[in-house]
Amino acid sequence: MNLDARVGIVLVSHSAALAEGAAELAAQVSGGTVAIIPAGGTDDGGLGTSAARVERAVKLADSGAGVVIVPDLGSAVLTVRALLGEAGDLPTPVELADAPFVEGVVAATVAAAGGGNIKTVVTAAEEARHARKL
Amino acid sequence: MPASYEQAVTLTGDLHARPAGALAVAAAQFSSAVSLTVGASSADAKSVLGVMGLGATSGQDVTVAAEGPDAEQAVAAIIAILAEATRVGA
Repeated sequence: MNLDARVGIVLVSHSAALAEGAAELAAQVSGGTVAIIPAGGTDDGGLGTSAARVERAVKLADSGAGVVIVPDLGSAVLTVRALLGEAGDLPTPVELADAPFVEGVVAATVAAAGGGNIKTVVTAAEEARHARKL
Repeated sequence: MPASYEQAVTLTGDLHARPAGALAVAAAQFSSAVSLTVGASSADAKSVLGVMGLGATSGQDVTVAAEGPDAEQAVAAIIAILAEATRVGA
C-alpha cells in the first residue's frame, strides 16, 4: 500500500446534480487532495442509482488506501450492497458509511485529506450525524 | 506528562467552511488533542463539522488549546491558519 495514498470517496445519489454538487463542495472544503467521485443518477441520466456508475466511481476513487461510499437515501444502499456482494474486481477495502449525505461527505473527505485511514474516514462520516449546525 | 499549551487569536474574518477544512486537515497532522473555544462553545479542531458549528465570526476571540507531545507546534499551526484563512477576502 502506498503510504501517501489517501482514502477515496464515492458519492452515490439518486440525482447526478446532487452528487456532483456535494463532491464540488467537499473538494473545496478539503483542499482538493482527495479523489471524490460522484455516482449519481441512472445510466440514461434519470433519477435513480446505477450499479455500473458506482462501480466505475469506486475504481476511479481508489488510490491504494481504500474507498468509502456515502449514499444519499435508503435505496442507494441497496444498489451499493448488491454491487459489493458480487464477486467482482473492485479494489479493497471498500466501506459503506451510514451518514447524512452532505455533512458525511464533507467530514469524510476532510478526514481523508488529513491522512486518516479507512476506519478513521468512516468514523468521521458516521459521527457527522451528531454534529449540530446551530 | 503530556505538554499542554494554549493561545488566543482574534478573528479578522468569519470562520467559513474552507478555513474550517484547512484547519481540521492541519490539526490531523498532530498527535495532540486540539480544541477551539469561542465564548461558551468548544469543538475538536480535527472535526470540520465541529469547527464550522462554532459559527465563529470576525472580531471574536478563539482560544486554541492542545494537549500532547506536540501541543506547542499544533497550537502554532492552527493559530497561523486562523490568522491567514479568516483574513477578509481569503
